[in-house]
Amino acid sequence: MKGIGGNNLWIDLTKGEIEKRPVEEEMVNEYLLGAGYLSRVLYDNIPVGIDPLSPKNVLGIATGLLTGSMFPQASRHVVAALSPLTDVWGESHAAGFWGPELKFAGYDAIIFTGASSDPVYLYIQNDTVELLDASDIWGTSVFETDDWIREKHSKRARVLSIGQAGENKVRFAAVMNDRDRASARSGLGAVMGSKGLKAISVRGTGKLEVADPKDYLNQMDIFYERMLANPFTKERAKYGTTNLVELMNHIGRLPSYNMRQGVFEGFEKISGHTITEKHLVKPRSDWSCLQRCGRYTRVKEGPYKYIGGSPEFESQSSLGSRCGNDNLESVLFSHHLANMYGMDTISLGATISWAMEAWDEGLLTSEDTDGIDLAWGNHETVVKLTEMIALREGFGDILAEGSVRAAERIGRGTEKFVMTVKKQEIAGQEPRAQKSMGLAAVTAARGADHLYAFPVLDEAGFDKEIKERFGEQYLPEMADRLNPKYKGIMVKECEDFMVMVESVGLCKYGTQIPPEFYYDDVAQALRIHNGLDLTSEELQTIGERIVNLNRLFNVARGVTRSDDQLPDRLTKEGAPKGPSPGQVVELDQMLDEYYEQRGWNLENGFPTMDTLKRLGLEKEGKAVIK
Amino acid sequence: MTELKFVFGDPEVCTGCMVCVNVCSMRYSKVIGPSWSRVRAVRIEPGLDFPLFCRNCEDAPCMAACPNEAISRTSKGVVIVNNKKCTGSGECVKACPYYAIRLHPDTEKAIKCIQCGACVDRCPVNAIWITTENELNEKDADGRLSSLYEKHETELYNKEEI
Ligand code: SF4
Repeated sequence: MKGIGGNNLWIDLTKGEIEKRPVEEEMVNEYLLGAGYLSRVLYDNIPVGIDPLSPKNVLGIATGLLTGSMFPQASRHVVAALSPLTDVWGESHAAGFWGPELKFAGYDAIIFTGASSDPVYLYIQNDTVELLDASDIWGTSVFETDDWIREKHSKRARVLSIGQAGENKVRFAAVMNDRDRASARSGLGAVMGSKGLKAISVRGTGKLEVADPKDYLNQMDIFYERMLANPFTKERAKYGTTNLVELMNHIGRLPSYNMRQGVFEGFEKISGHTITEKHLVKPRSDWSCLQRCGRYTRVKEGPYKYIGGSPEFESQSSLGSRCGNDNLESVLFSHHLANMYGMDTISLGATISWAMEAWDEGLLTSEDTDGIDLAWGNHETVVKLTEMIALREGFGDILAEGSVRAAERIGRGTEKFVMTVKKQEIAGQEPRAQKSMGLAAVTAARGADHLYAFPVLDEAGFDKEIKERFGEQYLPEMADRLNPKYKGIMVKECEDFMVMVESVGLCKYGTQIPPEFYYDDVAQALRIHNGLDLTSEELQTIGERIVNLNRLFNVARGVTRSDDQLPDRLTKEGAPKGPSPGQVVELDQMLDEYYEQRGWNLENGFPTMDTLKRLGLEKEGKAVIK
Repeated sequence: MTELKFVFGDPEVCTGCMVCVNVCSMRYSKVIGPSWSRVRAVRIEPGLDFPLFCRNCEDAPCMAACPNEAISRTSKGVVIVNNKKCTGSGECVKACPYYAIRLHPDTEKAIKCIQCGACVDRCPVNAIWITTENELNEKDADGRLSSLYEKHETELYNKEEI
């Protein structure tokens, strides 16, 4: 096959053995690469009933079929394992240059089994692959590790690593790459830490040969032109995702004060406009990225002084509005620290905001918190706790377990304020103001998540695309974010498409928002880049297969419909304020429609045998569903 | 003498997307791979991305260094490599202060930017443009660009494999 590295690395960390295996092409036809490839490999290799932080867990990192290609935003890789936060399927994605570099070294994926007794890092320089001693960098930050490796081996090396949070097995530790890119969710940094694996340094000086070299540039020119002509691209370049703060506040979808409400009176202070005006150094791109939503920012002086890559809407919401914090410099700095220590800013801010609500309700006192004042909006606390969680110091050690486990430990009714699905904290989409996001959060395989489906077609007037992708009969209801009708249909379709996108290594920007490229465009890219002849229908079926296999992975670990639930606050208490007062998430209705659409059993949420048979997963289904 | 043209870029505008690098390797070698490209893009923290090209020096040291007289200047002022004469000695690579002429990994003959402008046309942020020494001096009257390049020259022009 063209356009890929060609080999996968299997690393047994217990024995220190390294094996190169050619990419299995039959598997590509059923699962592509990236997320799909890992869904299969980890399904087959992670035993049921293990501790995610034990050597029995398997950690996979994979690039997609188009990673390193010239397609817009083809920069991505996927990290996956059994999640120590959710105890079910864990998966996370990042952009950068690390993925393409791995391809140029000749590899598409790396699978780690076992655990090393002493800290190691994996060194890859084309054909040379070695496990090296990491004792000099164990205990250092993501930035220090990046500097050390590039100083030692090559300034041109691309580094993926964990910081102290991963080493300390913070349950929402991230796997970082290229300094400030984060595979943040699912706590996979803790899995890497539990395996004694500090980093992966990659240098690749090879090339990707493409299937249609003659026409390649012409075809890419067409994709480039379409991407650059899309009005969203200009907006993205200007603000990244930072101005979602003002847009989401406007529709009441900006989680504030934990998730009490969807509007924040201090939104302007932490808005994209303010960041652009006061702190933006420049927009940054990853490999082949025309959207350039990446921000490079600085705080020039004072206690929160830094320069670096950040922020993203999610961090403004989690460390800002969610904590009632309108001190922008602290939000930016705390995000910078989270990059440095290697942590998911969503779970970080959401866990702090859970504690703040418990404090506000009088259920937590300074006796529990080592004297730290958890009043809403205390920006010093947000920054201090970021550090204490990463280093597991004092009260930070409890919060490092995530909000569900922390609430179990504290008790006293604090569970009521935990805003999670399957133990993962809900991201920055207050679902009472966008129903599809509520459904997406419960159906996502990795626990609360907006990206598994990324159902944004009802967010910003994409009526035309809804008509094209679904049909006119679904309008106007599907486009109405407050109407639960047809959201099951939409979320199902979006999930299939998005897991496919993560399996080819493209970004959700450009495919889902703006919805510029769709199945036929990906099929075309796979033809000219890889020489793969897959139809749009076949690609959609692959997406469906991946979602069902992820579901079986979770069903095998006890997940049923009763786990596909939102906190009562979101389904029973009407939104107290903002433009959508009184709204709740009509979850059951949407979930019925979703299961029906998927061909899953309405009662328990298991895939039916007919569905599994159609997708070639009958054997797996029979083994799991008794 | 006609004013010599070269491509130049602003490291504070360039986002580091690699589009220029990829367009070049695809156009001239029909592959994707930074080592096959005549453009380099080097990221230096904090916050700089340098797109790097042949500077079309008046005294072109590559030309003088070639033991086979394979490098010459066209009437339009472009320094080109004659593939028939180039034996891949690498003397030009050693002589170039900008690491802007390198050996093609497959043919092992020298490759360099010939100011075709294919990358300039496609840069999504207009970070690169075709210019001349005089024009650039005028544009960079405050020395912002030249001082950025000077400050980082060791890292920018170190001749490590790409
Ligand atoms: S195409 Fe433009 S923005 Fe991208 S790396 Fe080249 S000069 Fe920089």
